Amino acid sequence: MEPIVELVDVTKQFDGTPVLKGVTFSVMPGEIIGYIGPNGAGKSTTVKIILGMLKKDSGTIRLFDQPLDPNDVTYKARIGYVPENAELYETLTAKEYLLFVGELYGMEEQDIVERAGQMMDALGIKDAFHGRLSSFSKGMRQKVLIISSLIHDPDILFWDEPLSGLDANSVQIIKELLAKLKEEGKTIFYSSHVMDTVEKLSDRILILHDGHVVADGPFSELKKEAAGTLEQLFNTLTGFDQHEALAEQFLNGMKGEITHDA
Amino acid sequence: MMRNVFGTGEQAKEPVYLKLIDKLAPLYTKVGVDYRQMRTILEMKMTVDSRKEAVIQSVGSNAKQKEEKNHFFSSLWVYAIISVFLLFLFVYDNWVFQYTTYFSYIFIMLFSTMLANFSNILLDTKDAELIGTKPVSQKTIGAAKATHIGIYLVSFTFAVGLAVMLATFYFNGILAGILIILLTFLSSLWALGLTIIMYSTVLKHFDGEKLKNIIAYSQIGVSIFMVMGYYLMGQIFEVIDPATFLVEMNLSVGHALLFPMWFVAPFGLLQEGIQTVYVVYTLFLVAGTVAIGILYNMNSDKIDSNLQKMNKAKAKPSSRSFLETGTAKLLSAGSLEKAYYHFTWQLTKNEREFKTRLYPSIASAMIFPLVLFFSSLRGDQPITSQNTLTFLYLPYFTMLAIPMIAVATQFSVNYKGSWLFELSPKHAKAPFLRAVTKVMLVKILFPMYGLISLLIVILMGFTYSVQLLNGFLLMSAILYFEMKRSSQGLPFSRKYAASEANQGCMASLIFFIPVFVVSLAMILLQSFVPYAEWGVLVALIALNAWWMNKGFNK
Repeated sequence: MEPIVELVDVTKQFDGTPVLKGVTFSVMPGEIIGYIGPNGAGKSTTVKIILGMLKKDSGTIRLFDQPLDPNDVTYKARIGYVPENAELYETLTAKEYLLFVGELYGMEEQDIVERAGQMMDALGIKDAFHGRLSSFSKGMRQKVLIISSLIHDPDILFWDEPLSGLDANSVQIIKELLAKLKEEGKTIFYSSHVMDTVEKLSDRILILHDGHVVADGPFSELKKEAAGTLEQLFNTLTGFDQHEALAEQFLNGMKGEITHDA
Repeated sequence: MMRNVFGTGEQAKEPVYLKLIDKLAPLYTKVGVDYRQMRTILEMKMTVDSRKEAVIQSVGSNAKQKEEKNHFFSSLWVYAIISVFLLFLFVYDNWVFQYTTYFSYIFIMLFSTMLANFSNILLDTKDAELIGTKPVSQKTIGAAKATHIGIYLVSFTFAVGLAVMLATFYFNGILAGILIILLTFLSSLWALGLTIIMYSTVLKHFDGEKLKNIIAYSQIGVSIFMVMGYYLMGQIFEVIDPATFLVEMNLSVGHALLFPMWFVAPFGLLQEGIQTVYVVYTLFLVAGTVAIGILYNMNSDKIDSNLQKMNKAKAKPSSRSFLETGTAKLLSAGSLEKAYYHFTWQLTKNEREFKTRLYPSIASAMIFPLVLFFSSLRGDQPITSQNTLTFLYLPYFTMLAIPMIAVATQFSVNYKGSWLFELSPKHAKAPFLRAVTKVMLVKILFPMYGLISLLIVILMGFTYSVQLLNGFLLMSAILYFEMKRSSQGLPFSRKYAASEANQGCMASLIFFIPVFVVSLAMILLQSFVPYAEWGVLVALIALNAWWMNKGFNK
């Protein structure tokens, strides 16, 4: 079987600062991949490059067994995307927004409304179908974004912090949904800082640090390198062991006891 | 007919512009745009424009929202009425003169104000995430943006040109009438096309922090080009007999650069028959249109694909300049106001959208005084009492930037950050507004007024320095009153939408009359009443001291 996503030595820099220094990985159809890394490691940049929102500097990318062609956008019809911090068109209602997205995927109005209605019902926000997005809570917006990423029944999902702002019950539903999507043969590539969730849900975990993938494998295998939880493994691989000292420094700063230059 | 999913429901009447654009569907498809997607994006954008963000709304409210009117369209009649003054052109029998003035006016209106307001839409990066991740090509996104702005520009141009278009049918016949409609439409497409080409070229070659400034400065460059154009226009036409309104035209090769003249040439052909100069200029118009079409087609997808650069500028360590800290200490009444002063200074320094909206209007407010200044300097003619009055009047023109400032300071791309001020105590609003007004006075109006005053001092010495100082103090007081009149809530707390685009522009036009009257009164009073300037100085110092300490308090 061919990988559904394949990156080889992809690099990207912003104004001379390298963010991705040669990222290489592949994703097989039907896999759930947890893509994790410290803040600013380049996780969102990787996804944005795959989605054609940013241009890579070098390296190769293959999607659906084809080289990524920036001039051909048809592959995006097979992708569902939830951005980390999405700005929505807030004065639209949920219905209008989902219709808008569905239409861009070439779907018919009736079909979109029926699918959206059922999905909103399942996530407990059907009553807000005609409400404007500006009046939605963070969790409700996240649910709308999740629905918009699935409304066209894509083959692969790129979700950036999909559980952000969701209440415990909704998190349960989404976790269950992920398992069922996997059963359907969908590929899921998601980033999160919630290690517990990543550890439990992912078939494979990719850890990005300093512009490179520093770990790639199922959690059961990665554990062999550093025993303990995924969080501990993450700390080890990203060379971070100063929690206490930094908390102390923070507290001192708050009290005005300055020990570091601004 | 296509359905309408946005707005009040499926039975909603389709707007005229959508029906018209539907007619152009084959054209869009021919240039590689997915028309259905483009229309969906356009419909969504126009719906968003017609709705204001509700301040208070219950969470997930399902209540039927009242559909609002797009106030851009509902305020167009003001431009139509203001432009009636152009009808004076029809006392002249020279069509070329009539339409040269007309197209110059149209292009000045288009370039100086409207495009600045629309640059935010062209440079909007939000679409990249919400639309760019769907199977929509850059070409389609680019076409949607251009059409979105085009709808506003074309309606604006027709509102501005309405009086002249109707009069043309009446005075100059049906053929000239049809020609003026076509050419007016073409002029708005030119303005749109040239702007898109300029932005995409700038975006292609520069990145990061430089880009923000280049865009603002290039708009100022457009304004300077217009000043030169205006100056040259004065050379081309000369009213040789005021009694019979006889106009003489002296066209030379150098004038070929004035592209509004190209729009006029077909009228020359119509009225005066075939003449080389008109034929050449008409060919320029055709060639120019074709060139814009080709360049647009080559660049229309470049803006969005290069927009990522806008957000990836390298962070520069921010520092407070001597001017900022010095004026903050000197002008701020209290520490809270000083904090707001620094905040406003930094925000207006960093926000690209603020600059691109305001700077071109500043440039256009400088056009009149600069043109008049230089055109008043005729060779070795002595300075008479008559042109002394003209010179004293010039700095007052810079006041026309005031309404733009008052509008610009209401909006911010970071409008959501205003929750921070909402948390401040109630009494904090007045210091905030005072700080914003003072920053605008120091950063924007002082340099503008200062430059014109400096030119006058160089020309006439320090004889009129008290009068010039009084003018500045008057401007400061007017700025306060305009800020107070127009302030709606806290500064920088509103979201900017395309439909807001004509607010400042319209206010400037209305502002012209009171500014003219007040300024004239000031000059006459100070010129003909002995020692009046000292009395005015004392009164204005008192007024300014008052608002700087107690202004905006309720």
